[in-house]
Amino acid sequence: MDPVVIALAKAAGLDKALAEFPDDVAAAAAQALNNAGAVRVPTDPVVEPWPPMRAGIGL
Amino acid sequence: MSATHWMSASQIAQAYAAKELSPVELVTALLERIGKLDPKLNAFIRLDAEGAMRAAEQATAEIAAGQSRGPLHGVPVGIKDIIDVAGLPTTGHSKILVDNIAKADAVVIQKLRAAGAIVMGKLSTHEFAIGGPSFDLPFPPARNPWNPDHHPGGSSSGSGAGVAAGLFPLALGTDTGGSVRNPASACGIVGLKPTYGLVSRRGVFPLSFTLDHVGPLTRTVADNALLLDAIAGHDPGDPGSAATQARGFGRLLDRGVRDLRIGFVRHFHERDLPAHPEVAAALENVARVLQAEGAQVHTVTLPTLTEFAGINRVILCSEAWSIHAPWLRERPGDYGQLARRRLLPGAFMTAGDYVGAQRRRGELIAEVEDRLRDYDVLLCASSMDPSSRMDEPDETARTYSRQARTPFNVTGHPALAMMSGLTQAGLPVSVQFAGRYFDDATVLRVAAAYERATGWHKKKPPIG
Repeated sequence: MDPVVIALAKAAGLDKALAEFPDDVAAAAAQALNNAGAVRVPTDPVVEPWPPMRAGIGL
Repeated sequence: MSATHWMSASQIAQAYAAKELSPVELVTALLERIGKLDPKLNAFIRLDAEGAMRAAEQATAEIAAGQSRGPLHGVPVGIKDIIDVAGLPTTGHSKILVDNIAKADAVVIQKLRAAGAIVMGKLSTHEFAIGGPSFDLPFPPARNPWNPDHHPGGSSSGSGAGVAAGLFPLALGTDTGGSVRNPASACGIVGLKPTYGLVSRRGVFPLSFTLDHVGPLTRTVADNALLLDAIAGHDPGDPGSAATQARGFGRLLDRGVRDLRIGFVRHFHERDLPAHPEVAAALENVARVLQAEGAQVHTVTLPTLTEFAGINRVILCSEAWSIHAPWLRERPGDYGQLARRRLLPGAFMTAGDYVGAQRRRGELIAEVEDRLRDYDVLLCASSMDPSSRMDEPDETARTYSRQARTPFNVTGHPALAMMSGLTQAGLPVSVQFAGRYFDDATVLRVAAAYERATGWHKKKPPIG
């Protein structure tokens, strides 16, 4: 397995999953890369996340 | 009077009023049918026959005494097993929560009980509403009543299978990436993902906070509106709940579609994910039917399904990881493989991935809102394929992601899937209608016009 994936999995506390289900961990890492790569993040710095922070609403 | 197990909620209410049927008689008949059919369908994780009969006796007495609680009084409903019903297990179809007994009713269950509905039990789901269909879980996966060798869709699998099979007329499901509308599509019934925030999620095990919805599955559009009326409403205990007074979701059902402007999102099924020919042909027919009924139907363009799906996945995996991380670290073997594989990607998403997806999300919402300024309702595909065989996991995996439902989880607009035909192999195909925020009534209006014009809801699965 890619040593970077192993390092990231350990950093996420997935030692047990790495030992017992290495194929699932590797598949998940590949999936995450594919999904994140499909998002065209706005280049305009002022574009804010949705849903926005709205003080005083919903609590 | 039609066979009791095929009666709609509206027909049931009329039969009660005419004293042709009582809740005890109906629940007795449905329990007998469940006993006969559910071993083949696995719609239930936990049938609560005793609780249902107690509620039926109470409803029978109240109705006989003239104390009606409204159109759902004495009407049975099935509940997806991630929604809490006090005293019953909420397992999420998972070994992780197999011993978890709900202490209180979810808000939607409180509302259903207040309306006099009868809870029949807890229904099969994909594990934690994401991992399925799976054969490595404590309970078997639900099966499709049109052909039990086929998948009933998911994740609200038991809700779709049970409604379509006539085990109960109404069910609740949840929808984070299409999980109400997928079983509705696969099982040939009506499934609505309401506007985000219209229905409380308090007491529902979360999958992804900003994408999760609770929604009704029914055999008719009118029943869908009735069930939505019962469960909608502001809940100050749900941070995503909207402070809206939107009600009366069935008030437009008889108005038809004359002069409504409908945007047909053809590129979803023609270019983005080319649909099975029978699905595509049925969609063209939907457009023709609505035009014949007086609607103006024009082709419109939205961002691609690839982009909507990517954003949905990044947000879903990131939010789900924050929920499941402790169990994935300590008990990875207690998940089925599908759920484990679908939840673990969140461990590899960065903060930048998540915030970037939420930033792009706002832009996609703005684009859909632009289209909905010019059109009352959008028409598009739901599933691109008829349901796959249960014993072909590769085919299930291939077809499961070939869908056009996630756009409306990303945007939060109301979206409804319903039957649009049967394939030559006898499996349902479907169409999806989406509308403006809190205008769920117009989505239901278009669906009702299509239902009246075609009568697909009268087709029943060949299951007895």
